[in-house]
Amino acid sequence: MLPSGVFFRDFAAEAAYLRTGPQRLAMALFVLALVLLPALAGAYLVGVITLMFVTMIAVLGLQITVGMAGMINIGQSAFVGVGAFVSASLASKLGWPFWLTLPAAALAAGVSSLLFGLPALRIKGFYLALTTVAAQIIFPIGIARLPTAWFGGSSGLAVEPVSIFGHALLKQHELYYFNLAFVLLFTLLAFNLKRTRVGRALIAVRDNDIAASVLGVNIGYYKLIAFFVGAMFAGVAGALLGYVVSYVTTDHFTLWLSIWYISMLIVGGMGSPLGAIFGTVVITALQESLHALGNAAAARFGSDFGAFIFPATNSVLGVLIIAILVFQPHGLLTGWNTLKAAYRIWPYRHHGG
Amino acid sequence: MNSFLQALASGTLTGLLYGLIALSFVVIYRAARIVNLAQGEVLMVGAFSIWMMTLAAGLPALLGSGLALLVAALIGLVIERLVFRPLIGRPTTTIVLASVALIIVLRGASQMVFGPEARPFPQVLPAGAFKLGPLHLNLALTIGAVLTLIVTEALHRFFMNTTAGLRLSAVAEDHMTALSMGISVRRSAAIAWALGALLSALAAAIYLSGAALDVSVAGIGLRALPVALLGGMESVRGATLAGVLVGVGESLAATYLDRHTSGTMSQVFPFLVMIALMLIRPQGLFGWKVIERV
Repeated sequence: MLPSGVFFRDFAAEAAYLRTGPQRLAMALFVLALVLLPALAGAYLVGVITLMFVTMIAVLGLQITVGMAGMINIGQSAFVGVGAFVSASLASKLGWPFWLTLPAAALAAGVSSLLFGLPALRIKGFYLALTTVAAQIIFPIGIARLPTAWFGGSSGLAVEPVSIFGHALLKQHELYYFNLAFVLLFTLLAFNLKRTRVGRALIAVRDNDIAASVLGVNIGYYKLIAFFVGAMFAGVAGALLGYVVSYVTTDHFTLWLSIWYISMLIVGGMGSPLGAIFGTVVITALQESLHALGNAAAARFGSDFGAFIFPATNSVLGVLIIAILVFQPHGLLTGWNTLKAAYRIWPYRHHGG
Repeated sequence: MNSFLQALASGTLTGLLYGLIALSFVVIYRAARIVNLAQGEVLMVGAFSIWMMTLAAGLPALLGSGLALLVAALIGLVIERLVFRPLIGRPTTTIVLASVALIIVLRGASQMVFGPEARPFPQVLPAGAFKLGPLHLNLALTIGAVLTLIVTEALHRFFMNTTAGLRLSAVAEDHMTALSMGISVRRSAAIAWALGALLSALAAAIYLSGAALDVSVAGIGLRALPVALLGGMESVRGATLAGVLVGVGESLAATYLDRHTSGTMSQVFPFLVMIALMLIRPQGLFGWKVIERV
């Protein structure tokens, strides 16, 4: 779907991500709104959005593995955990600054994902999903077992705050801007990956691996790349999470969290990084508002009611996810694309023949 | 020597329990081509229905559990109808993801109804241990093991020798072909789910007899998953045999390796087997060789 009245005459025009003036303006206003947000919103909301940014980076990575390359990964939070522990360990034990710990965390998560992506060379389909479940189960046991001097064992690690030019980021809005910078960077990376040689190869492997290999795409290599890149995003998310919550333990990185990551992707739509963003925002907003509602109700009707409302929240969201799988397999993206198309060709109802 | 024999015997008994849970994976996969990652949660639901029928409704343990098996089968039918029937013909990815969402729903719903606290589980099978030569064996697990062997043989014959069973196998092989032969994919999936949920509830009765019940019991589902894969997702007898192999391996690892790895090896063992299996023989020991390969 192209903006109406815009026709590509050359490759540069086609490759430009923002194609029209109004699009540039809308994007600039959107980023401006994100920058101004801490001045307008309360501290709690800013904290929630900061954590949402971290989640978003992990889900953007998941979109590359699952959406772009078509390999189910139910162990993303284990790779987030690897990033968190590596970064926490390097920051607190060796005193590395964040611009070294982040790449190190990304690399560590990427390399560890290769171990579990290796079976992708032999198999596909749901069998592959199961090895990522194995990653999820082996990760906490492994961390607890490794020498306490490395990762703090089962009690976890405290993380030193990020410091930029000797100034430690402790305030909520400082952390917000720090994470905003990274979420913008990784959103840009995720959107642009689709248009690179690697991105096109991944999509080709997903859609028809035999045809892709006939065209000279090395399937095994690109499958591993998909795992590696997806886990690198996870590693960065883990490092950032460590800085935000300032303490990491294996209890953060459960199968349950991975399930939520993949649910966000389902709700948003797997076809595009935009789906990852939509899904993260929608699920976080729903979770937060349902929890706020639950807390208010619990304050009014007693704590028994509170114990009822939290699992009820999960049930509602779970049913929502199944409904989306059944009725709207491409997630919220479908609705968004329909809306966008309708807006662009207005006042006409459809493109001419 | 004695500790070796003891590890072997108790490993076999736990392994047969794993085998029974793996069977519930296999039955659903074999008859409907659905990989249900929420099998542990289905087991948990079965366990809660046993609790409802016995301790809450006051029926005697065996009668109540028998009724609860039927309730579990009914719940299986409901899950199939609401979640998986609309997904017939969709890609495997979608079906796996639906089962992941089912994990969220079932956990949430059980906590909603039963709360987070642990509750006692009825003594369905007799408690205690008995001595067999130099070995001490858990009585409930032994009865469970015998039941597992009977169920395995019965299911094997059902799938291999009866018309209904062969229909299910045809569906497992290819939905389209089965449909064009006049076999109802929907009915097969429904039968599969009823059977799978029933087997899970039976496994719950053996696993939890006299123990405590809360939402965390669902974790055993994923521990049994490597067993189902090792046996081959389509093989009934394979699941039981693989259960014994994994159970014995785990028990030997607990006896001999845990000392050196501070209790890690027996927990990780099934999953290491699984990853190795994926690399060497993805279809498992007795699975059909139609697995999607690269």
